[in-house]
Amino acid sequence: MGYFILEQIVNGVVTGSVYALIAAGMTMIFGVLRAINFAHGEYYMLGTFAAWYVVSKLGIDYGASIVIAVAISALIAAVIGRLVMQRLVNAPFQSGVLATLGISLILQNAVILAFGGGYKVFPGGWLDPVQFFGIGMAQQRIVLVVAALVMFGGLEWMVRSTTMGKSIRAVSQNPECCQIIGIDVEKVVRRTFVLGTALAAFSGALTGPVNVSLYGGMGESITLKTFAVIVMGGMGNVRGTLFAGWMLGIAESLVAGSIGLQYRDSVGFIALLLMLMCRPNGLFTAKARF
Amino acid sequence: MSTTLDTPAPVPRHLPALRWTGALAVVAALGVAPLVLGGYYLHALIIAMIFLLPAHGLNLILGYTGMLSLAQGVFFGIGAYVSALLSLHFGTSFAFNLVASGVIAGAIALPLGIPALRLRTYSFVMCTLGFVVIAQTVAKNWISMTRGDMGLAGIPQPKFQFGSTVLNINTIPAYYYLAPVVAILATLGFYALIKSPAGRAMVAIRDNEVLAESLGVPTWAYKLVVFMLSAMFAGLGGSLYAHYMTVVSPLVFQMYYSTTILVIVLGGGVGRVPGAVIGSVLFVALSEALRITPELRMMIYGFVLLLLVFSVPNGLAPLLDRGLERLARISPVTRGGRTHGR
Repeated sequence: MGYFILEQIVNGVVTGSVYALIAAGMTMIFGVLRAINFAHGEYYMLGTFAAWYVVSKLGIDYGASIVIAVAISALIAAVIGRLVMQRLVNAPFQSGVLATLGISLILQNAVILAFGGGYKVFPGGWLDPVQFFGIGMAQQRIVLVVAALVMFGGLEWMVRSTTMGKSIRAVSQNPECCQIIGIDVEKVVRRTFVLGTALAAFSGALTGPVNVSLYGGMGESITLKTFAVIVMGGMGNVRGTLFAGWMLGIAESLVAGSIGLQYRDSVGFIALLLMLMCRPNGLFTAKARF
Repeated sequence: MSTTLDTPAPVPRHLPALRWTGALAVVAALGVAPLVLGGYYLHALIIAMIFLLPAHGLNLILGYTGMLSLAQGVFFGIGAYVSALLSLHFGTSFAFNLVASGVIAGAIALPLGIPALRLRTYSFVMCTLGFVVIAQTVAKNWISMTRGDMGLAGIPQPKFQFGSTVLNINTIPAYYYLAPVVAILATLGFYALIKSPAGRAMVAIRDNEVLAESLGVPTWAYKLVVFMLSAMFAGLGGSLYAHYMTVVSPLVFQMYYSTTILVIVLGGGVGRVPGAVIGSVLFVALSEALRITPELRMMIYGFVLLLLVFSVPNGLAPLLDRGLERLARISPVTRGGRTHGR
């Protein structure tokens, strides 16, 4: 029993790290734009698909494919950021919902039209088993957790110490004042958007070998789980998302292991609804940031 | 006229008459369509009529109280499942199932609405999206009731009995006459609702909730009732859908349905009845008739949403208004002296 719980917790931390990485991007975009990105999971899907294409069709090594996948997704995100996202500055909330829903439909169905709607198998990855506290798991899972920790460390440093991070924080607090003192809000929005979606694409490329199968609609359920994580972490709170992601991951794997696999995806929703009802400002803060 | 003030252009006298003529022309065109169009095009129009019902529901909640709900597809699916289960287990008639679907969808909206309507803006949107996923999970996993992914097949087609004559609605043209009757009745019901004092109270809530509350409008009760009514409209649509397709599966809870309803309402023009009609003809009937694959259609919907946000935020209904107004001005009955101000 103890072993079972430990195993589920370790698995939960692995999936939770992925959720946290994706959610960190979404929460930053929410911070600067006050808009929920309903297309966020699609960038995760793009990351997985780009890595799959590079590995299986072009025959390039998996390690290099991660870099290429992130670059491709960032390029697409840069175009979308310029054409759509930067126009959402100061727009009413419905505009943000509708525009990002539109982008989600376009990206998802474009990928299905281009590569077909069926499931595909992700080849390669670092799948050699390693022992970790007596639990055997693939190297890829360790890489995921380490990558998430490194990324969160990097984000923390960036937000605190670099000019870009400071301008992101400034825009999150008050976009009007930023415009007055000469911060280019649209540029900050564009950069945050590309950074946030690149994080999603990066985790997409990293989880490809763990998920094994991939299909065009895979981003949808990730978008929905990401909502749960950003609400739990507190909207716009980057550090909070790491712990919220782990909590959701652990809760999911405990439910999957003890009640049944088919109820795994409901955990996120129940968490989301409970959070919205009881603690709409997140688990880690008593007062609303926005 | 020598006034320099920006007074609104005078409404042409014939505009109301022209509106009625337009509406009757649409109904007449629908009436003769089976004589001209083939079965597949009629099928496309039937699907459009069916989607008009949940679209009215969304129009009500979005256009008259300003809440963006993605849960219309959920109530549409609940209506479809209620009809399927009732007719398969109890052999009840179509008319009974139709009413029951509406009522049950509305009743399920009550416990969902009480917590959800406390949320605002994007929290409400996320919450309604959550309902979609929960509905999918329930439909897939409550196998003893819904038969899971296999779905419920063999739902009987509608049959009406008047004394000794039995009217079987088992062909596409026959169903084609049934769907518009329900759609027109629902449209009239929608009009009656929004022209009533309750409709004005809803507009007040949309425009300024705090002000409405201070004037004694029970905003919370209104929002809950509107949420339930919008679910009822969707449930009616779901029932029509189940009896038309004769098969219901968890696929009715896909985001596809909620998105389609959203695009119909926003594309036509939020809060406008002609808008919902234009929207469902344009975005459902036309794309069905052109046999566009679902993937391509969803991509087109995506571009339509972007276009709506950035270029035509009020949808197509205002364009229709302007066209009708221009028509009323140039109509030969108008006397020369009355067409000033152009």
